[in-house]
Amino acid sequence: MRSRALMLLVGSGAFLALALWIARPPASLANGDKDHEDKGGHAHVPAPLEYADAHMPLGAWTDPAMIARGKEIYAVRCAVCHGDAGDGKGPAGVALPLKPSDFRAKAGVAEMRDNYWFWRVSEGGQVEPFKGKGSAMPPWKGQLSVEERWAVMAYQHTFSGHLGPHVPWEHPASLAMGRDIYAMACVMCHGAEGRGDGSVGPMLSPRRAPQPRDFTSAEFKFRSTPSGQLPTTADLLRTVTEGVRSSGGPMTIGLRGHRIMPSFRYMPAAQRLEVIEYVKSLNRGFWERREIKTIAVPAAPPVTHERLSRGKQIYADAECLACHGERGRGDGPSAPTLKDNRDVPIAATDLTKPERFKNGARPADVYRTLMTGLAGTPMPSYADSLDPDLMWDLVHHVLSLSRQGERPPKAAER
Amino acid sequence: MSRFMAVALSGLCWLGSAIADEAPISGIVKFVDLAAQTLTLESTARGKTRQVVVHFKPGTRIVKFIRSAEPGETGFVEQALTLAELKPGWIVSAEARHERDKEVADVVKVVLER
Repeated sequence: MRSRALMLLVGSGAFLALALWIARPPASLANGDKDHEDKGGHAHVPAPLEYADAHMPLGAWTDPAMIARGKEIYAVRCAVCHGDAGDGKGPAGVALPLKPSDFRAKAGVAEMRDNYWFWRVSEGGQVEPFKGKGSAMPPWKGQLSVEERWAVMAYQHTFSGHLGPHVPWEHPASLAMGRDIYAMACVMCHGAEGRGDGSVGPMLSPRRAPQPRDFTSAEFKFRSTPSGQLPTTADLLRTVTEGVRSSGGPMTIGLRGHRIMPSFRYMPAAQRLEVIEYVKSLNRGFWERREIKTIAVPAAPPVTHERLSRGKQIYADAECLACHGERGRGDGPSAPTLKDNRDVPIAATDLTKPERFKNGARPADVYRTLMTGLAGTPMPSYADSLDPDLMWDLVHHVLSLSRQGERPPKAAER
Repeated sequence: MSRFMAVALSGLCWLGSAIADEAPISGIVKFVDLAAQTLTLESTARGKTRQVVVHFKPGTRIVKFIRSAEPGETGFVEQALTLAELKPGWIVSAEARHERDKEVADVVKVVLER
């Protein structure tokens, strides 16, 4: 009798364990499955900013010439560890404590974004977190050109069996974490498809600009890239980190520091980058652009009476006062008629309140805004009409319009 | 019964330590000492970088992998090297055993020459 009860207990326990094992949630980034990270050099981290915009040209993934070139390089440089069959079982690789990637593993390859892949090939195991894990992967950036690294990636990609380009919209698994964060933190304003049509959007600033950004359009206000171009990942990170300053409707009451878009500075940087990768995936333009030029912000010259006086003259000559008004209060003669590209009224920024400058109120922020303009708004770029020195004069004047703004040092301080 | 459990536990502990001791060490060659027949590797594991001195014994093999020169064969074949041929900066992987506070190599495989 006693042994029967014991058997029943053991049997029930085994059944329960089996049921729990079968019903376990699927492994995903979101629920913290990291077991497979410990077995190889793969880690779920976003590519750092210096590689975040290194997207491989779409056509290169399937270009036979590119693949053939990559095969030659792979045979010489990679196969000794990753194997001729791409299975991570090359003769030198099998003895490594951290196993080389198996490019035949469809799921593992699908999770790698192209910029992450390019980063791995370029820096190898010499950077964290791979160095700390003991990766022996050599860095190839000093020995292979950008095109050669792309060629190797195109050939490695063929082992996975995937026939199209290796892009996020073909591999949703590579965006799982970013998509989850977007669903929790962004979808209310920017909408499920990123078109800026979320349910809360209209209440942020009723019938007025600013409205939530449409990520599928080519117009991004806050950039370090020239007018008409998409922003860099660093630009997007700055916006996500700082938020967007502006007074708004009832839904913005309580948002600290007059922000119409909240600051996500307390979200871990890696998570901010993950959600940015998801946002980028909504706009194929990020993969179709080639060379990315950014506007350099030179060191600010000291504020002097002469510079302020010159800046005031530029402010008048460049017709800033038509919208922003002579004293910068956003009450210029054209201000009541201003509309953005969605045909909704938009206020000229009150320059006496730098805490409400949408693109930041540091001198470098104002310089960048003047250089790039704000796409989709009446604020133009002055990159073609002012040289850096004159631009700084205008920046100093703009910042002097507020009560706490920039002033030249008093005679005693000089 | 308790004696059996103690023996089994000791056996498991020994097996665990034996497996741990035979884990390969990979790293960058920092220094080759021909007189002492040692190789100093800079190795990183679990976030810590350390210098590991790998000792050679008479039977230790050093190999690198090259493409076969045989017609029709494209795979890799081993090519034996001597300790003197290992150069600082190369990335190697050593299959070593822990013997009397020393890491004694059975095989050292060259991952990358540079």
